[in-house]
Amino acid sequence: MVEQLLSLSEITRSFGAINALKDVSFDVKPGEVMGLVGENGAGKSSLVKIIGGFDSGFSGQFTFAGKQARFSGPVMAERAGIAIAQQELSLIPTMSVAENVLLVGDNVPKIATKRQLRKLVKPFLLEVGLDYIDPATSVERLSVGERHLVEVARLIAHDPQLLILDEPTAALGETDSIRILEMVERLVKRGKSVIYVSHRLDEIFKICDRITILRDGRSVAVKKTQELSVSELVNLMLGRELENMFPKRISSSSKIPLLRVRNLWPDGLLEPVDIDIFPGEILGLAGQLGSGTGEILSAIAGAHSIRGGNLEMDGRVFMPKTPNDAINAKIAYCSEDRKHDGLFLGRPILENITSTALKRITNFGILQPPSEHMLANDIAKGFTIDNSRLLSDAGVLSGGNQQKVALGKWLAINPKVILVNEPTRGVDVGARAEIYQTLHKLAEQGTAIVVASTDLQEITNLPTRIIAFYRGLKVSELGYDEVSAENILTQITDPFGAAKLKR
Amino acid sequence: MSSASQPINQLPKPSILERLVQRHSKLAIALVVVFIIIFVYGMVTAPNFLTLFNLKTIIRDAALVGIMAIGLTFVTLSGNFFLLSMKETAALCIIAFATGMASGWGFELSFLFTMVFALLAGISQGALIGIGGNPIVVTLGAAGVLYGLGAYWSDNLVVSYRRPHGAEWLGTGSFLGLPNITVAFILIAISAELLLRKTSFGRQVYLIGANRAAGRATGHENFWMAIKVCTIASVCSAFVAIAFSAQVSSAQVNYFSSEFGSSGDMTIMVIATVMVGGNSIMGGFGSTLRSSFGAIFISTVDNMMVLHGFNSGPRVFAVGLMIVFSIIVFAILRRGSRSEE
Repeated sequence: MVEQLLSLSEITRSFGAINALKDVSFDVKPGEVMGLVGENGAGKSSLVKIIGGFDSGFSGQFTFAGKQARFSGPVMAERAGIAIAQQELSLIPTMSVAENVLLVGDNVPKIATKRQLRKLVKPFLLEVGLDYIDPATSVERLSVGERHLVEVARLIAHDPQLLILDEPTAALGETDSIRILEMVERLVKRGKSVIYVSHRLDEIFKICDRITILRDGRSVAVKKTQELSVSELVNLMLGRELENMFPKRISSSSKIPLLRVRNLWPDGLLEPVDIDIFPGEILGLAGQLGSGTGEILSAIAGAHSIRGGNLEMDGRVFMPKTPNDAINAKIAYCSEDRKHDGLFLGRPILENITSTALKRITNFGILQPPSEHMLANDIAKGFTIDNSRLLSDAGVLSGGNQQKVALGKWLAINPKVILVNEPTRGVDVGARAEIYQTLHKLAEQGTAIVVASTDLQEITNLPTRIIAFYRGLKVSELGYDEVSAENILTQITDPFGAAKLKR
Repeated sequence: MSSASQPINQLPKPSILERLVQRHSKLAIALVVVFIIIFVYGMVTAPNFLTLFNLKTIIRDAALVGIMAIGLTFVTLSGNFFLLSMKETAALCIIAFATGMASGWGFELSFLFTMVFALLAGISQGALIGIGGNPIVVTLGAAGVLYGLGAYWSDNLVVSYRRPHGAEWLGTGSFLGLPNITVAFILIAISAELLLRKTSFGRQVYLIGANRAAGRATGHENFWMAIKVCTIASVCSAFVAIAFSAQVSSAQVNYFSSEFGSSGDMTIMVIATVMVGGNSIMGGFGSTLRSSFGAIFISTVDNMMVLHGFNSGPRVFAVGLMIVFSIIVFAILRRGSRSEE
């Protein structure tokens, strides 16, 4: 057996009472591509952070290149030969490609002409397949995919033994993704090792030699790619059932659509979409990051730019230009980032809850504290928000309670349609169950609810039916009986069967 | 969710002092204590400080800066930073008012004539900020335009009108022993506070200031808000311009660049007042009442220093120190109150 380049065993990392990782084992051989897969929250990024030296508060064995390792910071890991390409790029947009690649490093001359830089940077660009661009181009003029490749070139310039790619293609289109995969193959041919973290199973199956599957902070299996089928992998990822958190799915709904979305073409999607939304259902939009589901929801709510399209509700054809237009049409939209545009953190919870419906609590422009308290109390009761804390700032609440406030404030407008992107991101299990119950109750009362989520459990167990998206394309619709985790995962990771075709 | 009722009388209730120390950072408390000592010392040793006449002087001095600061507070609270054109708006407005008075239009007509300029200045700056213009750049530009117009209109000369005139009641009149300008300051402070606390508009100011993106998402666009708050600030500027012109029966574009506070520059004094009051520069937290007290506070310190015989250099220095001081103290206090997060 080949000597391991990287070997981790019995790795445990806990934050307070929560174990992010528990007894995880993970190893990488020289010249190997190791895939790292798992659901959101399975512990992939925690593991990557430990390997990359961002997090040293773990317990367990960590050896790299035959030596015991515990890096005090990413710089130490980089010196040892580990480089991480993260989802957020660390390039300086106004500087040239050459300058970015050679920004720091031991073998970079302190003073150099532009011509020297250009010569120095060539081999690295060649390696990542960017030899066709002029190194003097400023980074901001490159495509997102090219920027990712520049980032990798910058890492390669330090001559790492091990390169970690954390969801490198999450925000990329097809051509750029292929470039990344080709680059990985080139690197491996030169004897480098790569850890490839991705949600996209087709890519995992294409380039990985072995795959490590994480679930709930544990490493459940390490398999050779040839010995694994797509459905086996999915089963390993999902593991035990957690479905009792979800109320029984709503099976049927009205036959007459409440809201018809016609030819809606939000920026970021490849083609216009038509969606019928029925009262009393929970419609799920399934898709990975970058699939366009969030853009559809925010476009319906007037918060995202569109190339065309309109909505039809109660016989009226319209298209909200601002969120206010949507609110007037009783369409509520809760984005995936509550801190950005879901909450007024520095203001009392009371004000957060009533912020959507100031008209209901004012009389000729004068606030009516009794009716404001009554409204806020009602909503707080419906969403199990602690009534006694209505006057404290929303910022002091836990993530789960913040999400309840962010969602709950929309009940103040008596919405007919509720659009929710990632209803339970960063929310603890208890609050999750309560949010599901409330959404369920609202649907039963006849509200139309649309949920976009990248959380597979959620998107499998909550919605009545599913529309699946893949990289800006609507790929399929799954009716009540067709909704299953396997079906959805196949549709959102590999809708065209690319992974199966190859093997 | 029911909150469990707990027995209250188990622990002896901590005294106010104990609670103060528990809740706030020691550094903030130490700073405040040091300041109070200096303040009290200055107060006691200053000749004629604690006389009714001097106290009235302090508030009267605070009035003009205070009224403008109340207007600017709306802009700051709504997250639109500052208007750097406060004194230039006043400069154009004072010329407009004095021209009206000198032409014999009478107080009411001249007042309305002046307000037209204030509205135009406020709405146009607000609209530019509302569509996404940077408040600093927009209002710096506007400052040049407004001042230039005023200077061109008046030929840089003093526009004067003769007593008795219809504006004297505002400039030099008094009511129950209080100068009318002080009364106006108090009335404006109260109504601004009511507007902020009790109306839907006031609520929107806080919400948009606390989080503009969330404000937009909940149907409160900053475009209209920027126009409204800039108009309020400009109208307050114009009112101060009118009141000041009524005092001196004249106007000149440089009045607000040289005559005010210890530093002489009205815009700087107004911004200092908003800051010393402890309003959040980022918006969403603060009140016009804080600005009113900020004005009185600065005026008190300034008055004390004058009585001690300091000239303008140290007094400007003191205003600068007060700004830095209050920013530090309020920042520490705010951070302390968020520690539960």
